[in-house]
Amino acid sequence: MEFLVEGWINVLLALVLISGAFIVTRRDLLALVSTYSIQSFLISAVALSLYLIEKHNVLLYLAILTVASKSLLIPYFIRTIQRKMRIRRDLEFHYITPIISIFVTLILTLVAYICLSKALTASSAQNDFYLGAVLGVSLALMGMMVIFSRRKVITKIVGYLMMENGVLLFGMFLTELPFIVEAMIVIDLIILVLIAAILAVGMDASIEEFQARLNVAHKWFTQEKEDDEI
Amino acid sequence: MTLGLFWGWIMLENLFFAGLVAWFAGATLPLISISSDSKTFRRISLGIYAIASLLLADVSLFAAYKNITIAITIYKILPQIQFSFMLDRLSALFVLMISVVSLCASIYSVGYVEHGHHKVRKNLLVSLMGFFILSMILVVSSANTFAFIFFWETMSLSSFFLVMYEYEKKETRKAGIFYFAMTQLSTVFLITAFVVLYAINGSFDIRHTAFADPSLLTAVFLLLFVGFSIKAGVIPFHKWLPYAHPASPSNISALMSGLMIKVAIYGMMRFLLFALAPELWWGILVLSAGIISAILGVIYAMKENDLKRLLAYSSIENIGVVLVGLGLYLIFSQSGLPSLAILGLAGALFHAFNHAIFKSLLFLTSGSVVYSTGTRNIEEMGGLVHRMPFTAISFFIGALSISALPPLSGFVGEFLIFQSFLDSHALADPMLRLLMVTCLSSFALTSALAAACFVKAFGAVFLAVPRTENAQKAHEVPKSMIAGPIILAALCVVLGIFSRQIFKSLGFSIDSPDLFFIGVFLIASYALTFAVLRAASSGKVRISETWGCGIISQNGRMEYTASGFAQPLVRMLKAIYRTEERSERKFFDSQSSIFKEGKAEMRLMQFFEEYIYMPIARAVNTASKAVAHLQTGSLDDYIAYTFVAVVVLLLVVGWII
Repeated sequence: MEFLVEGWINVLLALVLISGAFIVTRRDLLALVSTYSIQSFLISAVALSLYLIEKHNVLLYLAILTVASKSLLIPYFIRTIQRKMRIRRDLEFHYITPIISIFVTLILTLVAYICLSKALTASSAQNDFYLGAVLGVSLALMGMMVIFSRRKVITKIVGYLMMENGVLLFGMFLTELPFIVEAMIVIDLIILVLIAAILAVGMDASIEEFQARLNVAHKWFTQEKEDDEI
Repeated sequence: MTLGLFWGWIMLENLFFAGLVAWFAGATLPLISISSDSKTFRRISLGIYAIASLLLADVSLFAAYKNITIAITIYKILPQIQFSFMLDRLSALFVLMISVVSLCASIYSVGYVEHGHHKVRKNLLVSLMGFFILSMILVVSSANTFAFIFFWETMSLSSFFLVMYEYEKKETRKAGIFYFAMTQLSTVFLITAFVVLYAINGSFDIRHTAFADPSLLTAVFLLLFVGFSIKAGVIPFHKWLPYAHPASPSNISALMSGLMIKVAIYGMMRFLLFALAPELWWGILVLSAGIISAILGVIYAMKENDLKRLLAYSSIENIGVVLVGLGLYLIFSQSGLPSLAILGLAGALFHAFNHAIFKSLLFLTSGSVVYSTGTRNIEEMGGLVHRMPFTAISFFIGALSISALPPLSGFVGEFLIFQSFLDSHALADPMLRLLMVTCLSSFALTSALAAACFVKAFGAVFLAVPRTENAQKAHEVPKSMIAGPIILAALCVVLGIFSRQIFKSLGFSIDSPDLFFIGVFLIASYALTFAVLRAASSGKVRISETWGCGIISQNGRMEYTASGFAQPLVRMLKAIYRTEERSERKFFDSQSSIFKEGKAEMRLMQFFEEYIYMPIARAVNTASKAVAHLQTGSLDDYIAYTFVAVVVLLLVVGWII
């Protein structure tokens, strides 16, 4: 049974990695959010599988929390933002283009694998699947790469969310993050996305254009308020 | 029972603690009334300083005399990290020095602080002065390196603010920033040294001598030596002194030059004498640094026309003298000549103490001169002896003492060091003996030049007739500004005349001349000569003018100027000053025979600034600019840096394990 579950976890982890690579390369904003939603679902499945082996209730809560927040609530918010925007595709890049970034991702995963396998086998031999931890670090780094290589705010947010997924994965396999911390991070994420949603009107393009648009939005908001008062 | 309680209270620990509390209270008082221009509050505060100084002077004198150690712990942060203090003989000597000088500086400040115009600034001056002195007392009485570095920093910070007192002047801002950078550099070295010390012996205790690993001691010594040298103004780390001392208010320059640089000397002595195990070459290093500082310090002082800057350079010279004594101690104690070593150390300590007294005296009196004439340029003074007689007498005694003339105190310290030098033929190593002879001759030159320097300073400031209208209009300063220096001047005389008795009462049988006897003899012979001349003279008084090269009216322009006095030396030591002379001449005719106009200038290059400080500053500037390019203001770039940092960290983890 355990052997089966371990194999199943490995399959899930591979899928998570693929979803990460997908986020790094895709330009279609809607697809990005959907991929993120799927990725979060996969991670909650990993947590659930771990629960079957280790029987920690925390893992169960984590799985539920992840599905509820990351694959349903947050994507819903982001889609709401996107509906208000004109832009559907990401065309501008910093430093690296998507094609190069897929190679960088490959190298990153390899580096993380080599470095961490050395470190982890030295420190804790009893933990067999450090693959999860390695993928967690790679996912976090990929998220970071998305943040600094894309110009669109929505993509940056997705990158940030993917980073957090990486941290979650790392925590699940290696450090056993206390549940309260994980819950707080989720609340952070929801607030982040909410704020993004509120500012979305001014932020549908990029940070550079934000200031000008914010002024317009400010007028729009105050006008609306005046209308309400009338 | 009551009596027992009384004696329990009166215990030295409590008196010491009470002194510290009084300082703190005195220093906080002007802060309470910071925005009111209340003379009373400042006076009460300065009065508390004076009382606290007296108290601490008593306690430290008692501790030094009886050779007992006082130890108190004020606050424990962690078991190892605590604010604990102790007064052994060395600390007590420095606390005594600080207390005596700050007593006089407090009296002096009663008059001095009132000449400012900003009420907040005047209050801050008094308050920060208190914190500055308190920090110095706490540094020299710290029992562990943590407390030492903590109060070292409060000392640096409070003195930095004091240097910036007249911050609206560009010159002051430059001095302040320069001082701040140097003092922080010194702290960097000290903290590193303390961390290494802790790594070696696992203790913050300042007197800890059990070393697990003595191989790092050399590194600790070098770090400490550089750190303390920066603060003490040892050449080539001296550059902040001639900027910071003139820029700060005079009572503060007296404290900085008289006391703060001695605190660095204390640190050096504390670690060399009690904590580290010195080697012979350490002594040679200290001796060489001392000789270089002494000779270059006095040479630079010689050419200076800014009164306070001259005194600052003279401080560098005297720090050099103290270091020479310390270096001799180290060399002789490593060569198995303990009696000579003690002679050198006694000379160094006594000179450090005396220098604190006469240098603060000179700074305070020159502060009075600047206060009255409104200038620091000695070319614009002259004739002040008639206008400010008390200040002139105090300055004169200080100048005599710093020129090491018997029977004043400055003579004794230098005499002991000379004595130690002269007996150095007992050393076995011929190379070492050669070094000693070389150093001795330079040291003798230093003493002579110091005397010349103060002849110039006293002569140009106080004698002859005034050279400018400001000097003409100068008048004597308020009474408190006379009283403070007078006490110090009296101390210069007393410490000199009774030096032999002082050493004896402390239990050192040091072969120094009985200056009391010599003093009496000198006075008697002067009196006798005067009486004989008086009796033998005709009694007629003839009043005439000095011959003024045929010019009828004799005014300030006829005088020997300070630059003129220093000119021969400046010319002789051209290689050291690195003077650069330029002249331009224009003529009416093509044969260059009828002179039309000309311009000549002589510039003194500042060797250390141009060849050591500026290249370093430029390198730092270039590096900072390169680093500043990283700050683009773009969020993407910052995240990219984080990304790179994480990847590098990952690689490092993989590499190490």
